[in-house]
Amino acid sequence: MRIVRKMAVAGLVLGLGVVSIAAQASDDPIETRKAIMSSVGAAAGLGGGMMKAEIDYVPAAGKAAIATVRAASLTFGDYYPAGSDQGDTGAAAAIWENPEGFAAELAKFQAATEKAAAASGKDGPADLDAFKGAMGPVLATCKSCHETYRKKN
Amino acid sequence: MKKAILVLVVLAGIAAAIGWGLSAPTRMSAEEASALKEGDPAKGELVFWAGGCASCHAEKGAKGDDLLNLGGGLRLETPFGVFVAPNISSSKADGIGGWSLIDFANAMTHGTSPDGQNFYPAFPYTSYARMTPEDLGDLYAFMATVPSVEGKAASHELGFPFNIRRGLGLWKRMFLDPAPVISQPSGDGEIDAEQWERGRYLVEGPGHCGECHTPRDFAGGLVLSDWLGGAPAPTGEGRIPDITPTQGGFGSWSAADIAYYLESGFTPEYDSVGGEMVHVQENMARLPASDRNAIAAYLKAIPTVAEPAN
Repeated sequence: MRIVRKMAVAGLVLGLGVVSIAAQASDDPIETRKAIMSSVGAAAGLGGGMMKAEIDYVPAAGKAAIATVRAASLTFGDYYPAGSDQGDTGAAAAIWENPEGFAAELAKFQAATEKAAAASGKDGPADLDAFKGAMGPVLATCKSCHETYRKKN
Repeated sequence: MKKAILVLVVLAGIAAAIGWGLSAPTRMSAEEASALKEGDPAKGELVFWAGGCASCHAEKGAKGDDLLNLGGGLRLETPFGVFVAPNISSSKADGIGGWSLIDFANAMTHGTSPDGQNFYPAFPYTSYARMTPEDLGDLYAFMATVPSVEGKAASHELGFPFNIRRGLGLWKRMFLDPAPVISQPSGDGEIDAEQWERGRYLVEGPGHCGECHTPRDFAGGLVLSDWLGGAPAPTGEGRIPDITPTQGGFGSWSAADIAYYLESGFTPEYDSVGGEMVHVQENMARLPASDRNAIAAYLKAIPTVAEPAN
């Protein structure tokens, strides 16, 4: 349950904290976008763990996972200013070479999280099947973007 | 003095003749060729996905049925120059629709074209050379069923000396060897030998995993002592990871984690697959679960590579 609470907090922080994060973005956009993406990873870990039945499903946890990816999808793309391709980053040069393509991938991510958030409702998806239906399409967008816009590793 | 020059000229002539002889494109023996027979296209489709053919020969970004339009054109930018994937559709004029089964098998296992030219090893025949006659026959039958795509792909863009195809005959003598890379399972875990060998076949043969996950020497040959130990990305940025069971690295993945990654595209930490590996993963997801489990079993029981090689 502890992990669930953490996730919910992460979702809230991301959802409500966008403005304050934006104020600091110029300090270190790489650090900021990494933190956002790690929240997506954590949400995927929670969601995937429940999908694989390694973690018991509860609607509140499903909601936290979806809220986290939703908030991330709306903020993540703002932290790729020119010049932030240098440094400790997995971001591929293609992001700056093909900004329209990157924006299209972000739009797919946002469209998927919008649907998931709508399906999630006030209490979160009622059962695991509902959660899979909502979260599955979001997870499917990860590799679509990572294929081109993340360095190989 | 004149005699000495004459001897030198004769020696140079002999060396050239030997070099010419050694660089001749090889083909299957009559006995090997007689073991071939055209097979089952349905089975051949699985071989097609295992072999990752569409990843280079379909149009960049193709998904779904478009993966079967094999007109080529993908550019592989490597330290040796730019290789352009050719048309391998069923077109008789521009693809390989006019090839016999033996032509096809010679290309796949000897890197030799029907008209006796050497193919560049960007086409991973060094791995495909390990494929069984059954799989080659099934794949050949499947290749006849894919759509015909008109138009030849552009030529490779290579500088001297890499633009001399004949020279590849010598390269093949050094680096083309159909013997298995790993002779037996390593480690002290319990091994299902049949499953491990199936995994070895898929990884070392059609799956051609070693072509990117193993470093190459100055001549572009795989450094087999560092088999699957990771390497600089042959195209673009980044590094292809070590997939030997290294402690603190890939060794922390269970066999189930590896099989799940190949099926879903998610690592144990729920990072997603990226880069060219997206194609590979999506191909592997089309195989039976038993094949993904076999690949995992093999990768869990191969030697680790001591130092990360470059």
